Amino acid sequence: MKVLVTGGSSLLGATVANLLVTRGDEVTCFQRKHSGTHATDHLGDITDASSLLAAASGHEAVIHLAALVVPKAPWSRMQAVNIEGTRNARSAAEQCGRFVHISSPSVAFHDVASVGEGANAPLYAGRDGYTRSKAIAEQEVLTGPRVPTVVIRPHLVWGPGDTQLIGRIVDRARSHRLALPDHGRALVDTTYVDDAASAIVAALDVCHPGADAVNHAWVVTGSEPRPLRDLVDSILHAAGVTERPRSVPAPLAAAAGRVLERLWPGAEPPLTHFAARQLSVAHWFDQRETQRVLRWSPTVGLDEGFRRLADWFAASS
Amino acid sequence: MPQRRTGSTDRPEASDWERWGVDPAWNRRVTLTTSAGTVEWSILDTGHGSKGTIVCVHGNPTWGYLWRNLLRESAHGWRVIAVDQTGMGWSQRAGSRTLEQRVEELVAFCQQEAPGPLILAAHDWGGPVAMGAAGELDVRAVVLTNTAVAKPQSVSVPPLIAVARSAVGLTCARTPLFVRGTSHMTDRSHREALNAPYRSAARRSAVADFVADIPLQPNDTSFVALERSASNFEALRSRSIPVLLLWGGSDPVFHDRFLADLLTRAPHADVHRFADAGHLVALDEPIGPMVTRWLDTHLANGTITLAESANPAAHIREPHEPTSMHPVGEDSTDFAVTTANTFSPITTALMERASDPSCAYEGPDGARSWSALNAAAERIARRLVRHGVQPGDRIALLVPPGIQLLEAVHGAWRAGAVVVIADSALGASGLRSAFRSATPAWVIGTPKNLLAAKILRMTPGAGAFSMGRLPGAVDLSGSALRSNPNEFSLRLPNLDPDSAAAVVHTSGATGPAKPVVYTHAALAAQRDVVREAFTLDPAHGFISSFAPFILLGPALGVPCVLPEGDVLAPAELDFDQFADACRSSDSDVAWLSPASARTIVRTANGRQVPLRLVMLAGAPIPLALAEDIHRVTSAEVRAPYGMTEAMPVTDGIGAMNRVPWGTDTGRALSGAEIIIVPFREPRLAQVATGCWGEILVSCPWMRSGYDRRWGVDESSTIERDGKLFHRTGDVGAIDDQGHLIQLGRVQHVITTATQALPCAVVEQSIADQISAEVAAVGVGPDGAQVVVVVVSGTGSLRTADSELTADVRAASPHSIAAVLIGELPVDIRHQSKIRRDVLAESAAELLAGR
Repeated sequence: MKVLVTGGSSLLGATVANLLVTRGDEVTCFQRKHSGTHATDHLGDITDASSLLAAASGHEAVIHLAALVVPKAPWSRMQAVNIEGTRNARSAAEQCGRFVHISSPSVAFHDVASVGEGANAPLYAGRDGYTRSKAIAEQEVLTGPRVPTVVIRPHLVWGPGDTQLIGRIVDRARSHRLALPDHGRALVDTTYVDDAASAIVAALDVCHPGADAVNHAWVVTGSEPRPLRDLVDSILHAAGVTERPRSVPAPLAAAAGRVLERLWPGAEPPLTHFAARQLSVAHWFDQRETQRVLRWSPTVGLDEGFRRLADWFAASS
Repeated sequence: MPQRRTGSTDRPEASDWERWGVDPAWNRRVTLTTSAGTVEWSILDTGHGSKGTIVCVHGNPTWGYLWRNLLRESAHGWRVIAVDQTGMGWSQRAGSRTLEQRVEELVAFCQQEAPGPLILAAHDWGGPVAMGAAGELDVRAVVLTNTAVAKPQSVSVPPLIAVARSAVGLTCARTPLFVRGTSHMTDRSHREALNAPYRSAARRSAVADFVADIPLQPNDTSFVALERSASNFEALRSRSIPVLLLWGGSDPVFHDRFLADLLTRAPHADVHRFADAGHLVALDEPIGPMVTRWLDTHLANGTITLAESANPAAHIREPHEPTSMHPVGEDSTDFAVTTANTFSPITTALMERASDPSCAYEGPDGARSWSALNAAAERIARRLVRHGVQPGDRIALLVPPGIQLLEAVHGAWRAGAVVVIADSALGASGLRSAFRSATPAWVIGTPKNLLAAKILRMTPGAGAFSMGRLPGAVDLSGSALRSNPNEFSLRLPNLDPDSAAAVVHTSGATGPAKPVVYTHAALAAQRDVVREAFTLDPAHGFISSFAPFILLGPALGVPCVLPEGDVLAPAELDFDQFADACRSSDSDVAWLSPASARTIVRTANGRQVPLRLVMLAGAPIPLALAEDIHRVTSAEVRAPYGMTEAMPVTDGIGAMNRVPWGTDTGRALSGAEIIIVPFREPRLAQVATGCWGEILVSCPWMRSGYDRRWGVDESSTIERDGKLFHRTGDVGAIDDQGHLIQLGRVQHVITTATQALPCAVVEQSIADQISAEVAAVGVGPDGAQVVVVVVSGTGSLRTADSELTADVRAASPHSIAAVLIGELPVDIRHQSKIRRDVLAESAAELLAGR
């Protein structure tokens, strides 16, 4: 199959592209800089509709991963990349025939614990610019799609080379700036990057008319929830970091997040209210229905993932 | 906010119905003509039902809304009609009605709108109306909730009714006091709907008329009509019409003694008492599913089709005509194997040793010889009979374990009475609820306990017998008895194997306390199996840290010893107390709770007390404990499997066997049958040897049922191959040696997305490897749970450090989401059963974050 992947320079995008190439698909990656994958790169900006349409020409499916993932960018940028960009991707997909849109579980984060939550219809929330824009984008994608469309919301993706989650945790722990709400007691689902990628490829495969998966958003996780503190300990252990996080009371973390996000000059404050809340309450999911409709299940898992992470840290140091 | 209705409105709108959770399409109006005139009724009618029709009659001052939960059951094949009586609810205000006229109107309604066989359901003063009509209709089953067909003797008019009556105009019509008072008896979400039809004095006049019509004296208008309702109700038994009484146990108006009165008039009735529900039990509890389940078990093929009832009247006056229903009482839960010829009652052994001067009991409260114990029991029995105790009467026992308990129990049994026993570990409110729900006719207690019971109104209306001098109670103590020698001419009844002997409340260690009924046959069978399986020796006797077990002593004819110490705190029995008791009494058998065994082991300090046999019971016994107690006593250690409902079930041989998971409880005792059925599918075929599932038990010494808990009876009894089995609520397996391996409770099975795991299967390998007590619980929704392991430690529950977490994960083949550490909650009674349900909740709360 000829597949266009947007956002191929991200960890997940690159992994998806490489996985498709490995199994013999013809893949084009569309993003502003080189993806470093085994796929063909087509450089361009997601906000540029005509350039994307040109790139998609001759393809049979679009997998749309490109997004602006910063908590505090100007709303105009969020709108341009996450909403307009998704509209462009959808238009491209309508030419091709299939659309797999990558969203985020945070579009339905209502500041309450998700404990074994099933595959319910989405109830959107938008607590900051990023999630609001992603929620609007997802909603549009699922409203009257013209081609078979599957939305995947991968939950807390991590893996070797990840600068977002892993990188920040390790950096902060090293500089003694890492603190977890209430000793990191909340039970949290995560997804090893290869498992998230295989779920997206599985979504592509079931993205045809009449399939149970289409026109619905599916949270995808590794189905191994663990207390946040457990996960952080494992990551730090893999990175060879001996410093351990401190604990702050959850309400204090939320309040600090509220203050920091208002006062912080840059686009990425060290803590936001939203992030503090997400780290304070459980979010893990009942994946039975998701795995059934996607005909997929995770194969790497946490323990193997942490081994690979340790190997990567060892090799890169 | 619900909008306020104006007083002039006499019809709800569609939006009102919807707000009240009632389908607007159910509501319609019908016109009836009777001798009282023509009247328009508002009814709720679900309009179809392949199984039959249930006509529901509300009381005063409610209306058809009362039956909302049952109306929703129309989905299960029943047509449900809830009427509003004349002047009530949304029916026409058409002047006052007497009970007789209300009966006539209900008969006319049923004949007009639901001709043919039907089910009647009624509440409060709807009960007399419905029972009045029952004489004129083809009634196939009756469901009553908190009602009465007569004021029981010895019960005064409920104070609330008395007050309402004394100022009926003021309380019922001119002010909404009576209406509001009633609607406050249930959840506030029902108030608006309950009050809505009665918003003005004019709309409430029937409420007042209803109260004024309650007949209390023979010259009251409706006295004769009420008597007719009562006799119709009593006739249900001979007409083979099944009756279900759904009872709110916390109703200040129609309280438990009204239930007891109904039961004397309809002894065949099934009862389910909801302890926490009040007067409006139909709104407090989801009665609908229970009613339809009950109807399904009582009506042939689950239907009351119209086919055979072309002439409904033909059905009425031939009580013995076969109906489409199962004959009532035939499906009795009776496990008697002992026939009357060979039946040797539980009282026999004590009588046989009547002239034996040797010691029968020894305890902190003194000692008694066989002859003294027998004489006291005999005197008490005669005293009870002389003061009116009839065979089958219930006697609540408020007597501490020891001499007085043995005397009182055996005395009560000899008098043919049913003893009602509750463990003081239930606490004052638990005891109160246990005794009140059993409505004993009599109570035997120490003077102190009787006073406490009176203050707490534990046994209202019961005649009191005191184990000492107490004004207002019959004195049962020795001195008083000796002064009445003419009691010896009284005849004591023969004990019937099939009649009830005891109502015993479960400890509540694994759920709410439930009253279990034993027949005399069951008690006799239990005595026989204990004697045979554990070869108890009449020359030596046994010691029990478990107070109720001393009742076995006089029953077996074996001396028993209660050691020093607080019988309610078995964990406090230490080695010295235990060894003293063993030596002084020459006991060679001990029956210990796991908690007391632990304390004895801990305080032994290398000393020994030799015994022949130690029996551990009350909770699954860890191997290490069995080995430890063996070291201290050099005795054979057995841990028989059993529960209040069936005790014992296995021989307990295997307590010291190392099994991969769970605890080895040995083989089924002769006469007991144990089968393992698939988890949550108890009606499917048994699982293969070595596979786990739910444990079902059948034995002659099993409970006959739960007292006034029809729903519990029904859900915990399963008939397989013509035999009744008790669902134990435990999971386990039978291994290739035929031993029952206990793996924990059904409700503690962890259900993950891929498998169901009994907690013991997860716990054992971890506990062995890290050498600590652990408990495994499931967190998350059923079927998608994750496994959380809690390691026993001090302090409140928290996440374990990374080292312990890694050790626990390494020790288990199962995927473990979280490892926590903290104190493991245990039950009050045994101090050894880990309360995994409580633990699971705490773990879930912790891991949910905040």
